[in-house]
Amino acid sequence: MKSLKNAIDNAQPVDAVTERLERADPWVVALGGASAFVAFLVVLPMFWLLWQASTVELSRSVDLLLSPETARITVNSIGLMGFVTLFSILLGVPLAVLTTRTDLPYPRFWTVVAALPLVIPSYIGAIAFTGMFGSGGQVDSLLGMSIPRVDGLSGAIFIITLYTYPYVFLTTRAALLSMDSSLADAARTLNAGPFEAFRRVTFPQIRPGIAAGALLAGLYAISDFGTPAFMQASVFTSMIYWEFSSFAVEYAALLALQLIAIVAIVLVIEAGIGSDEDASGGVGARAGSTIRLGYWKWPAMGFVSAIGALTLVVPVAIFTNWLIHSQGDPIPSLEFHWEFAYNSVRLALLAALIACLFAIPVAYYSGRANSLVSRILERATYIGFAVPGIVIGLALVFLGTRTLPSLYRQGVWLLVFAYVVRFLPQAVGTVRSSVLQVDDKTIEASRTLNAGRIETFRRVTLPAIMPGLVAGGVLVFLTTMKELPVTLMLQPVGMDTLVSIIWDAQDALAYRYAAIPSLILILISGFSMLVLLRQEGGKIS
Amino acid sequence: MQQRNSDHTNRFGRRPFLASAGLSAAGLAALAGCLGDDDSGNGNGDEDASGNGSDDGNGGGSNAAGSVAAAEPLASPVDSSGVSWDDLGDLEGEITVYSGRTRDQIDLVFEELENEYDGFEILRDYDDNDVQVNQIQQEGEATPADVFYSQDPGALGAVHDMGLVQQLPEDIVDTVPESYREPDGYWTGVSGRVRSVFYNEDRLDETPFDSWDELPTDIFEYATDDRFEGIISTRPNSGTFRGFVQAMVDLEGEDATRQWVSDFMEQDPDLFPSGSDQAAAVERGGDDDPIIGLGNSYYAARLVNEDPDSPIRVTFTEGDAGALFSVAGIAVTNEVDDPELVAEFARHLLAVEGQEFMMDDNGEFPVVDGVDYVGPLPGPDELNSPTYDLSEFDMDLQEANEVLEDEGMMPL
Repeated sequence: MKSLKNAIDNAQPVDAVTERLERADPWVVALGGASAFVAFLVVLPMFWLLWQASTVELSRSVDLLLSPETARITVNSIGLMGFVTLFSILLGVPLAVLTTRTDLPYPRFWTVVAALPLVIPSYIGAIAFTGMFGSGGQVDSLLGMSIPRVDGLSGAIFIITLYTYPYVFLTTRAALLSMDSSLADAARTLNAGPFEAFRRVTFPQIRPGIAAGALLAGLYAISDFGTPAFMQASVFTSMIYWEFSSFAVEYAALLALQLIAIVAIVLVIEAGIGSDEDASGGVGARAGSTIRLGYWKWPAMGFVSAIGALTLVVPVAIFTNWLIHSQGDPIPSLEFHWEFAYNSVRLALLAALIACLFAIPVAYYSGRANSLVSRILERATYIGFAVPGIVIGLALVFLGTRTLPSLYRQGVWLLVFAYVVRFLPQAVGTVRSSVLQVDDKTIEASRTLNAGRIETFRRVTLPAIMPGLVAGGVLVFLTTMKELPVTLMLQPVGMDTLVSIIWDAQDALAYRYAAIPSLILILISGFSMLVLLRQEGGKIS
Repeated sequence: MQQRNSDHTNRFGRRPFLASAGLSAAGLAALAGCLGDDDSGNGNGDEDASGNGSDDGNGGGSNAAGSVAAAEPLASPVDSSGVSWDDLGDLEGEITVYSGRTRDQIDLVFEELENEYDGFEILRDYDDNDVQVNQIQQEGEATPADVFYSQDPGALGAVHDMGLVQQLPEDIVDTVPESYREPDGYWTGVSGRVRSVFYNEDRLDETPFDSWDELPTDIFEYATDDRFEGIISTRPNSGTFRGFVQAMVDLEGEDATRQWVSDFMEQDPDLFPSGSDQAAAVERGGDDDPIIGLGNSYYAARLVNEDPDSPIRVTFTEGDAGALFSVAGIAVTNEVDDPELVAEFARHLLAVEGQEFMMDDNGEFPVVDGVDYVGPLPGPDELNSPTYDLSEFDMDLQEANEVLEDEGMMPL
């Protein structure tokens, strides 16, 4: 993750930057232009927010923003984001170390187990957990004893952490795999203990990876609507939704802007932590020696299994149970059709593809140009990820009908664009990490060998950033598959996807109809996760 | 009608709607006792349908796309005596319906219409009711929707106030009693629904109430009686809840309503984001789950349909906003492609078969006088709903919202 702090620390006078840009060759300027264009596109919906919010009377908006209620919700939201981030790190980093650096048996299997919760929409997790735990829940009826109910702010933190920590797990894992671990071995030979070596050598190198994942987890937490709503936690998204459902769109927009302001602060803070001076592990990253777990491998496996059981077995078991014990009159329109899966996969593939195309200039420019402008452009693409889907959805309804009415709900393009706005940062983040790891010398070598810019990009840079592209694409694919509000609002009329059926079944209390689409969603996403991990695995071998 | 009823039963199967225990024949009789006499007072029979009324500047009917009000019936018009689908014109073509109702509530009617008419297709867009209103507003003239099918008059009133919908044909307007529609026919109710009190029958013994008939018949007691503290719930973000609040403002005054909301909040109620979740929690019956809920009766009906052993039951308050009889209905956007088809579609919903689907599948009530009640709940005449003219229900939602916000009743 690139650091704004760096930029601020080394802030150059504007003149100097301009001068440098002027001296820069047209290639870099074009890259910057493309990058700016992408940033502009994805920030575009926010102008609708500004416009809507500007229609609120000033006194009313001041009242709203300064009300005790808003204060309470701000504190809750920041708490939610902070704790989810913290707990995601506490879960994700040890899991990443366990699966890459130790002699844990069946590392592939455990990696999949640890990564898979990301494919389950957190609202499905929430539904499953409230059905499972708490008095009156299924565990209660099974054991005949009461287990505390999962709800409120702490419940939301718990559930969202369980389903978002894989962001940290995946990025940390990628960082661990690409760093040169022989350094850690060197530290060990210099008599540093394993923890000392980790703290002093490994941790600084994987810090950007951790920060990248933590940022995604935190932003996901603050923009999630379903889970806090289900757990009855008062956060920004729920207040926005309340204003929104009172047809007070302009107040909802105002609150969304306030949310964005908070997120902007978070982005700056995170930029300070995620400095990338150490991110380049060198091309010849070598796998160092592994940590021997000895008898610790049992508790280690127990730890991963426990998480897998909580996050994966519980919902799958509950859905299967619903499926088996289905009764009640049939509801034809909730009946499963393979078309739903096809629609979901097609949309997610398109979104992943376009997000990757968009991510390349932004990530490449910010990774190589290293200027304040490039960083701001990169950070701008993160905004959409933090804005609740319902707000993005409505903004695009508005903009879509006014600018491109012929495309509006006629095809999938506006919907795909909405997904890109929401999920682009996942691709930008991973691509950028791999751009940072491309050794300048390799590119220079290629240039000295008379390869043109384009040829160098195609033959040297692209292969080097391919792992990042694939990883980013898969992340976008996964999150698109499970995105709900945007899908409901912008899908072409009459088109159904897995999530829209799951949601409607849940809404109609006909849970049995949620079972098959949920299981298929988990299956497809799980498969794409395998692609991601296999490709990563290929990198080390 | 009688023949149709038996027909209907065979075709779709009788639903065990709350009937497995508490509301069986005996239960129903007892319930009727609880409901008091049959002064329905819904304003039925008020046939003063001016139909075309004055155009109040909403621009309805003056659109380029086509005026639905001027569309002649393709065969018979509908009227309040109950017209059969057989008498109506054929449906042919494609219409787009934005639905704020859920699939299970209206899809059977849609499917049946599509089965009945080969060349007819309904493109359906399901989403949250509030989302649909916002969406139609943001879409403006670009909306693909022909029909907005909403679960409450508030949302229909909102799209009307925004000038986004047009008048319905005169025969449709005349068919529906004025209290169930907009006076000038800018929207009409299609089925009736009633606010109710649902409770978990198995858990009443955990409460100071020994049996359901000890539950108050006055909605105010649900806010002031401390026996409900910690066991009651509602769903403040629903249109029908806001309608209930608005009705209370009109019936009892704003101060009394504020007091009710404030007292109710003192009960430490469970506030749910969705009616389904609320009903499911009452049914689930954990220690932390509410035992009593204020909500629309059909949520309980669906649960009983999914699980005949469900312990959830409903009862009603008497003559106050707590038993508000409201409607779900349709409005036609200004941007329809085929006015005749859209008008004919609306006629089908108000004909006997359309009405019966709503009763039988949803546990709702007919809005057409000449259609007999066939559902499992007490008939509309047995409900002691307040005398309330929904057409006067201008649903100034902001007013209800302000009461709710000021008194600290947020949905979550």
